Amino acid sequence: MRRSTESYSGRVSVRVWDLPIRLFHWLLTGLIAFSWWTAENDHLDWHIWSGCAILTLLIFRLLWGFFGSSTARFASFVRGPKSVVRYLRGSRWDAVGHTPLGALSVIALLLLLSLQVGLGLIAEDEDGIYFGPLAHLVSTDTSDTARDIHALNFDLILALIALHIGALLYYRFVRGKGLTLPMIIGRARVDAPVQPMQPAKWWVAALCLAVALGITRWVIAGAPPFGS
Amino acid sequence: MVRTACVALGAIVLLSCSASKSNQANAASNSVAASAESRTPPKLTHDQALALMKQRNENMKAMGDAAGKVGKSFQSGNPDLNVIRQAAAQIASLAPKVVSWFPAGTGPDVGKTRAKAEIWQKPEDFASKAHDFSQAATDFNDAAKLGDMNRIKVTFGAMGKTCKACHDLYRAPEH
Repeated sequence: MRRSTESYSGRVSVRVWDLPIRLFHWLLTGLIAFSWWTAENDHLDWHIWSGCAILTLLIFRLLWGFFGSSTARFASFVRGPKSVVRYLRGSRWDAVGHTPLGALSVIALLLLLSLQVGLGLIAEDEDGIYFGPLAHLVSTDTSDTARDIHALNFDLILALIALHIGALLYYRFVRGKGLTLPMIIGRARVDAPVQPMQPAKWWVAALCLAVALGITRWVIAGAPPFGS
Repeated sequence: MVRTACVALGAIVLLSCSASKSNQANAASNSVAASAESRTPPKLTHDQALALMKQRNENMKAMGDAAGKVGKSFQSGNPDLNVIRQAAAQIASLAPKVVSWFPAGTGPDVGKTRAKAEIWQKPEDFASKAHDFSQAATDFNDAAKLGDMNRIKVTFGAMGKTCKACHDLYRAPEH
């Protein structure tokens, strides 16, 4: 346990999370809260727009996982069960970015959020007043089922968020690692030598965002066939 | 005897505030107001109440599904007038009956329902909102019969608002 305290109270400040990842994280946090509130308070019109904004974020995050900075890339944090077990047994972990265990939580959240948005896109409310932008592509029964699973899946998402916050508290108070500040300022204090984050070019982020916005726009339009 | 007095009392209360409303809605809201104000035990047996609540739920769902078909028809970019007409007629035939589906003794204390107890605490407001819906459903059905798509769209949107106005206040969340 001491090693973690040492590595995070170190004197060297290194880059851990790039700006796109931090913006993604906090915008997603805000939009999930907003989506929750609007669903509970009968503002389904805002809820649908919030979901479309989350769709943009998720598409961006998917692209950034291939073309982004080193700590954002799936290749850098999606690992096999062996490295997770090794990490759990307490083997050294000094690299910046997601730990093998934390990565599992990130992947699970991204998958459940993608499922959630996908279900929302084809759902309709029970009164037939509000529709996800792709609801017209499926039957009323399918839209109703999608809405039911959408509600159940949100409980799973809440559980993962609780786990996420629980892990933050555990690292903060048991292992002496503050993980929230790096997600705000992008840097963490560590012991040298650690390979810091390798940043990607800003214009790659702009390109990823443009693609994400383009796909979202097409989805909002009801996914019209190309060429029409 | 007691019942007559209650109906009369309800009628007086309602006449004083809803003179402009249609007879149909008045008649319906009278019965709700009357049964809510008289503290007499519900006249429905438990089984009757449950059967009514089940039927009410099915009717509400039928209207929601019908509206959903209209919405999707518009969303597809190629609205089908036949689908819209069928749905509009179905909604317009059920809408005037809404208040009659909520007699005293069919609330959340009796069985599983998302109808809130407030319905029977504010019977006049409930009846007035149900009447707004019924009126909007008639407007929508008239527009559907005429076949003017713009008019159909406007009246459909207006009807949706009347569904929501009542549900926001008097329906408990789904989950």
